[in-house]
Amino acid sequence: MLKNYIKIAFRNLWKDKSFTLLNLLRLSVAFAAALLLGMYAFFDLSYDQFHENKEDLFQVYYSEQTPDGQELATSMPVPFAPALERELPNIKHISRYISDHALNLEEGKELDLRLIFTDPEFFEMFSFETLRGPVDVLKNDSQISITEETAQRLFGKTEVLGERLNLLVNGRNEVFTVGSILKDIPVTSGLRFDAAVNFTHSPNYAENVDRWDSRNHSVFIQLSADTTPEALTQSAVSFNNLHYQGNIEDLKRDGAQPNANGNYLELNLLPFKDIHFADFKGDYLKVSRAYPYMILGIGLLILFIAGINFVNMSIARSAQRLREIGMRKTLGAAKKQLFFQFWSESVWIFLIALLLGIGLSLALESPFRQLFNTPARLTDMSSSTLVITLLISFILITFIAGGYPALVLSKLGTLKALKGKLDLAGKNRVRNALMVVQFSIAIVLISGTLVLGKQLDYMRNKDLGFNKEQVVAIPLNGKRTNRQNVALLRNELAGKPGILSVTASDNNLGLGKDGSTYFSRMGFDYKGRGVSTNMLVVDYDYPETLGLQLKEGRTFSRSYSGDSLSIVINEAMARELQEEDPLNKQLIIDDSIKYTVVGVLKDYNFQSLNKKIEPISLFMKGDWDLYYAFVKVAPQNMAQTFESIEDAWKRIEPNAEFLGSFLDENIDRTFKRERTMTTIISSGSLIAIILSCIGLFAISMLVVTQRTKEIGVRKVVGASVAQITFLLTKDFLKLVGVAFVIAAPVAWWLLSQWLQDYEYRIELHLWIFLAAGLLAVFIALFTISFRTIRAALKNPVESLRTE
Amino acid sequence: MLLQLNHIYKWVKQGGKRVFLLNDISLDVEEGEFISIMGPSGSGKSTLLNVIGMLDEFQEGEYIFDGEPVHSLKEKQRSKLYKEYIGFVFQAYHLIDELTVYENIETPLLYKNIKSSERKALVADMLDRFNIVGKKDLFPAQLSGGQQQLVGIARALIAKPKLILADEPTGNLNSKQGEEIMELFKELNAEGVTIIQATHSESNAAYGNRIIHLLDGSKQLQP
Ligand SMILES: Nc1ncnc2c1ncn2[C@@H]1O[C@H](COP(=O)(O)OP(=O)(O)O)[C@@H](O)[C@H]1O
Ligand SMILES: [Mg+2]
Repeated sequence: MLKNYIKIAFRNLWKDKSFTLLNLLRLSVAFAAALLLGMYAFFDLSYDQFHENKEDLFQVYYSEQTPDGQELATSMPVPFAPALERELPNIKHISRYISDHALNLEEGKELDLRLIFTDPEFFEMFSFETLRGPVDVLKNDSQISITEETAQRLFGKTEVLGERLNLLVNGRNEVFTVGSILKDIPVTSGLRFDAAVNFTHSPNYAENVDRWDSRNHSVFIQLSADTTPEALTQSAVSFNNLHYQGNIEDLKRDGAQPNANGNYLELNLLPFKDIHFADFKGDYLKVSRAYPYMILGIGLLILFIAGINFVNMSIARSAQRLREIGMRKTLGAAKKQLFFQFWSESVWIFLIALLLGIGLSLALESPFRQLFNTPARLTDMSSSTLVITLLISFILITFIAGGYPALVLSKLGTLKALKGKLDLAGKNRVRNALMVVQFSIAIVLISGTLVLGKQLDYMRNKDLGFNKEQVVAIPLNGKRTNRQNVALLRNELAGKPGILSVTASDNNLGLGKDGSTYFSRMGFDYKGRGVSTNMLVVDYDYPETLGLQLKEGRTFSRSYSGDSLSIVINEAMARELQEEDPLNKQLIIDDSIKYTVVGVLKDYNFQSLNKKIEPISLFMKGDWDLYYAFVKVAPQNMAQTFESIEDAWKRIEPNAEFLGSFLDENIDRTFKRERTMTTIISSGSLIAIILSCIGLFAISMLVVTQRTKEIGVRKVVGASVAQITFLLTKDFLKLVGVAFVIAAPVAWWLLSQWLQDYEYRIELHLWIFLAAGLLAVFIALFTISFRTIRAALKNPVESLRTE
Repeated sequence: MLLQLNHIYKWVKQGGKRVFLLNDISLDVEEGEFISIMGPSGSGKSTLLNVIGMLDEFQEGEYIFDGEPVHSLKEKQRSKLYKEYIGFVFQAYHLIDELTVYENIETPLLYKNIKSSERKALVADMLDRFNIVGKKDLFPAQLSGGQQQLVGIARALIAKPKLILADEPTGNLNSKQGEEIMELFKELNAEGVTIIQATHSESNAAYGNRIIHLLDGSKQLQP
């Protein structure tokens, strides 16, 4: 029996080659797309999930009730972690964490290492496997732990326990002994590093070791299994009252309101497994897996559309097999047997399509990884949830998409089937509903593409308040001190063609090629109130080089002595100070050093565009370090000028990698997520549209065939080509219309939710959705026009003869 | 007695009124009979055959087949009954286009869950008997109408039914082919198979040993 089914299935598939091919094409494209999107989504979801202790791991953050509302901070003072572990119960492990860079000074070629400063317990908390050496290697202050890959890079081998490593760490030369070798950091780890040393080596450790008012690192904590984060928050209240007494009193004095728990300052824990999905918005914490789930959703939608198509086609085509069904029934076939026969035919198609789809996705894997900038691999996922999800959705889709038509067919009455009459009225309703769903999905995806594209465009082209086109930022990763290198760079470039000015600061704009992000904030009292500001250490000519607009006063200048006690602030800072005229106001910061405001800059977007512009203060302190040089170039021959900058850097630091890039590239890099999402949604909608079109085309073909006689008769009695085309088209257009009415509000809601994340965003206009709807209409019209116009043009005698 | 119809009525509602397709039909059929149902087109011949073949329902009356009251049987038992005892031959042959001659003939056996070796033997016998061994791997489209109808009859006979229902089996054939089929029916009948055929050809009807005349769903006493 089974053999017989298989035989018939393949003969049927073979007989209708074009249909089978169309089906296979559609389904395998859908499977491949779903597979790749699923891979991407599951990869994203698997971030940081490999830690065995993940249920008990947390990052500490504080929520502070300021008069302007809640502020969240993840940065902790150096004595915090040891005190917390000492004074509170239920803390199994705790470790401080700073991610930095260091330069390996061995053998001419300087290699840049991602170095972390952390506590010995770090490797007991997190599952970064130690291959050689003790797990608590960092207990020994002079030892360093490196990954296999790093060992290979530094020494050309991995058996390097006991080797010495000479590193330049924050301008200091330090020698470490390799104490342990780690397995390479998993690709799904959010914490990434090449080497780890004890936290005591962190910048300014000695000065900060007892200071509660200077915060510069993250703190991770592992709770004992029998406690909850809420319990820790509760038990930390008295800890906070003790150690942050001054801060709490200031908050009360400034008129802040306590939070729901009655606290002005509260220790909170963010589950470590959520960190990849967490976004600290400044005033609240948003943990959302919407992004990977949305991508997964798009994959499922594509499968869904392919499934819908399949159902529609199968039902529509079943007319051709009615006789067979009737015949088989008179020969004694039971419903069950017929169902199984038709269902198994679908299963074959699905199975072949799945195999083709897997092949296709493997073939497209590497372009996909490039396009979407993901290290995910299909082969990495073979054992994971992806396979299970894939299997479940495969079974579901064969059951539903293959089973429904089989059910409809097997239930037909024998005589009706034999006469070749299919009662299509009810089935047409199902078909129409499915087409509406399909079009709705397409419209939602098209409007998503339009809105995302527009938002991305907007952010790219937005005037950020500084010149991003003409300025090159160069991470200072040389062997000399950064100040020396800035001076050398100034000299090298002075008078070179195309170079307009050179400056430096301690922070980049956007995301540079060095991949580091960093911010520096401080709080102080001003006129009896707590205020806070971002800090930026700059060199001369900073505002001029960056093209920042001066609102009033002056910028730092070589003609004034004592500018190391001057500061330049932005408008937001002036508002923070509540000063109409902030010029010459004195701020007492940092142990009673008096700074004078000499200038006010117009607000500019020094942070990402999903944040409001915050207060910032520019300092010019000769003894504070600078990390980035900025060079403004003339708009002509920019590529050439860029090369001359690179050459200059190579002459100064022949062994350091040149990581300079234009600021607009840096800004663009910060939109990675938006870009990926736009690419995914637009390719998703493209696939959805193509699939819908193939389905629509096939359906229009069938409808036209079904109505051939009617068309002929109508033409004989005098209908024009246009009238006939309209007659055939209007039913489809109605469906698109209904789909639009359903899809537009859904798309509106989804997209406005998404835009909420951006402080600077485009407005949603009705026309976007109308455009998406119209596009769907045009695509539908175009697709069906092939068949309808041909049918309408046909000689009626011919159409009638075919009956 | 093979089957008995007692006062069968079948109607459809049209505009609130009953239109009778079968009107008070009673009929006894003994095993071994060869009955021809005659009547003009639209008189209800096919409807009657379908009712006898249990493909169609009726509203009133009793139908007893081989001692079983068909009118009160469940669908499952009914289909078991006809799978066992009834074979159909159609005017339009109704072969399955995707299957070869061999496979078409084999299909009823598949639905009766007969073992593969036994199936092979039965189909081989049938091919032999109808002289179509050479055609066994051809598809219906590659056969003439007469050959297709032969396959249709072979398929109806393969499960060894007691009763063959033939709805205008020669309707699509030329007269020579038609005669051959009728001769075949006569032979089968001589071997003991009960046959009921619908026809509107006098000469074909004459092959039967009893003729029933239908008009507008009613049995006529005399043509
Ligand atoms: N399902 C039905 N609904 C309405 N009328 C029917 C139906 N089936 C058959 N008829 C009508 O019943 C009459 C008898 O049909 P049929 O048995 O096919 O006649 P015959 O086979 O003698 O040509 C015809 O007039 C036909 O139109
Ligand atoms: Mg008839």
